[in-house]
Amino acid sequence: MIIENLSYTCPTDLQEAIALLSDPGVCSQALAGGTDLIIELNRGSIKADRVVDINHIPELKMIRENGRITIGAAVTFTEIIESPLLQNKALLLVKACREIGSPQIRNLATMGGNVAHASISADSLPALVCLEAEVMIQSSAGIIYIPAAEIVTGAGKTKIPAGGLIQSFEINPLPAGHRVAFERIGRRKSMSIARLSMAALGSLDANGKIETIRLVPGAAFAQFQRMKVVEDMLLGQTPTERLFCTAGQCMAQLYEAASGKRWSAEWKEKAIAAITERALRQVFGDYNEN
Amino acid sequence: MKINFNLNGSPVSIDAPANITLLNLLREKFGLTGTKMGCEVGECGACSILIDGKVVNSCMLLAPQVNGRSITTIEGIHDPNGGPNDLQISLVENGAVQCGYCTPGMVMAGEALLSHTLSPTEDEIRNAIAGNLCRCTGYQQIVEAIEMTADLRRRKLAGQAKKLEEVQ
Repeated sequence: MIIENLSYTCPTDLQEAIALLSDPGVCSQALAGGTDLIIELNRGSIKADRVVDINHIPELKMIRENGRITIGAAVTFTEIIESPLLQNKALLLVKACREIGSPQIRNLATMGGNVAHASISADSLPALVCLEAEVMIQSSAGIIYIPAAEIVTGAGKTKIPAGGLIQSFEINPLPAGHRVAFERIGRRKSMSIARLSMAALGSLDANGKIETIRLVPGAAFAQFQRMKVVEDMLLGQTPTERLFCTAGQCMAQLYEAASGKRWSAEWKEKAIAAITERALRQVFGDYNEN
Repeated sequence: MKINFNLNGSPVSIDAPANITLLNLLREKFGLTGTKMGCEVGECGACSILIDGKVVNSCMLLAPQVNGRSITTIEGIHDPNGGPNDLQISLVENGAVQCGYCTPGMVMAGEALLSHTLSPTEDEIRNAIAGNLCRCTGYQQIVEAIEMTADLRRRKLAGQAKKLEEVQ
C-alpha cells in the first residue's frame, strides 16, 4: 500500500523539476517509467512524500543527432528500439534494449531509470559503457558529465548528486565498418533479470586483423567496465575460433579472480567464457544480421 | 488531484488520489473489474491495458499519470454489437481460455500486436505475449488464436479492398 498523503506533481520545465527534487523540506522521488519506483513505493522499501513525474519535460523525451547522438533520460526502451536513427547509428544499444523485460515493461521503462536505479544487472549499461556514452546530469549545482563507465559505484549506488537528475545520454556514432553484438543469459527468455550479459563491438583492418575491440560484461563484476586485458589480447590478431576460445578462457579467469569462488562461480565461469565467444563470433565471424 | 482522460472512448473526469495505482483506479473507482490484479510487480500481465494504443501494466502507473491520455481496458474491446470480438471468439474456440484469469491481459497484448501487423510470425506473437503469464494452456492455443485472428482480419481487409475496387 502506498502511503496515503503522497503527492504527485508533473512539471513540464526541467529547472522546475530540479527545484522540486532539491527542495529540502519535502522527500521527493523522480518518476520516469515507474517500473521499479511504483513497486518499491507499494512495498514501502522507498519512502517519498512526493513524486515528481518527469515524463512531460521535452529535454528528457528527445532523441536527436547533432554530431553526437543525444537520448533523453525519459525516452522509453520501446522508443529506443523503434528509433530509425538509433537502429542506424547505435545498433548495439537497440539490441540490448530489445532484451529488456516485456512489451509492457519496455513501453514504460526508461534508460534514465535503468541507470539511476543502478542494478548490477541493468541491461542498458553494458551497451552504454561499450559505446563510451557520457551521462549528462542536471542538479541545482549545474550540469556535470560523467562517463557511463563511472556512474555506477556499486549496487544501487551512483554518482548522481542528491536532488540531481539524469538529463540525457550522449554517444558518438561508430565509424563505418564496426560490428556489434549483445548476448544475454537469463533464467528464461523474457522478463528475467540478466544473470550475465556481454556487449561487444569491433572492427578489422585492411589485412583482416582485429583493429578495434571493446568488451563489456553485465551482471558479472562490481562495476560496468571494458575488459582491457581481454581486449589487448585480441588486438592485432586474425579472428579464429581458437582465438575466441582463448579470449573466453581469459574472461573466465578474470571473473574468477574478481569474484572468488561463489556458489554461482561454477556455471558463471563457463557461461561468461561462452558468451564472450558468441559475442566475438558475431562481431568478427561471417555471421551477419541486424 | 482532478484528472481528465479518455476511457474506452468516452471522456471521463475524476478526483484521482496520488497513492493508488491506475489498476486500483480502474477497478475501485470505475468498477471495471475485467482488468485483473495479479502479481502487482509487473511480471504477470493480468492487469494489462492500452495507453494511447500501447500495452502497459496498469499496476505500474500512479492514477494521476493518465491525465490527458487515452485508456482502453478489456471492457472497451468488443464487436460493434457489444459481444465478443473476433480475437475473443478465436481464443474461446481454440481452447485458449481455461481458468480465464490471464485472458483479459492476453487480449490486450494481442490487440496491441494486431494494431501493428496482421501478418505476425510465431516469434512476433510469442514476443508480444512474453509479458503475460498463463499457467493453464501452455501458450500454444493462445498463439494459434492470435494467428487465426490475424489471418481473419487480413482476409477481411483484402475482401474490403477488392469490393472497393469493384465499385470503382
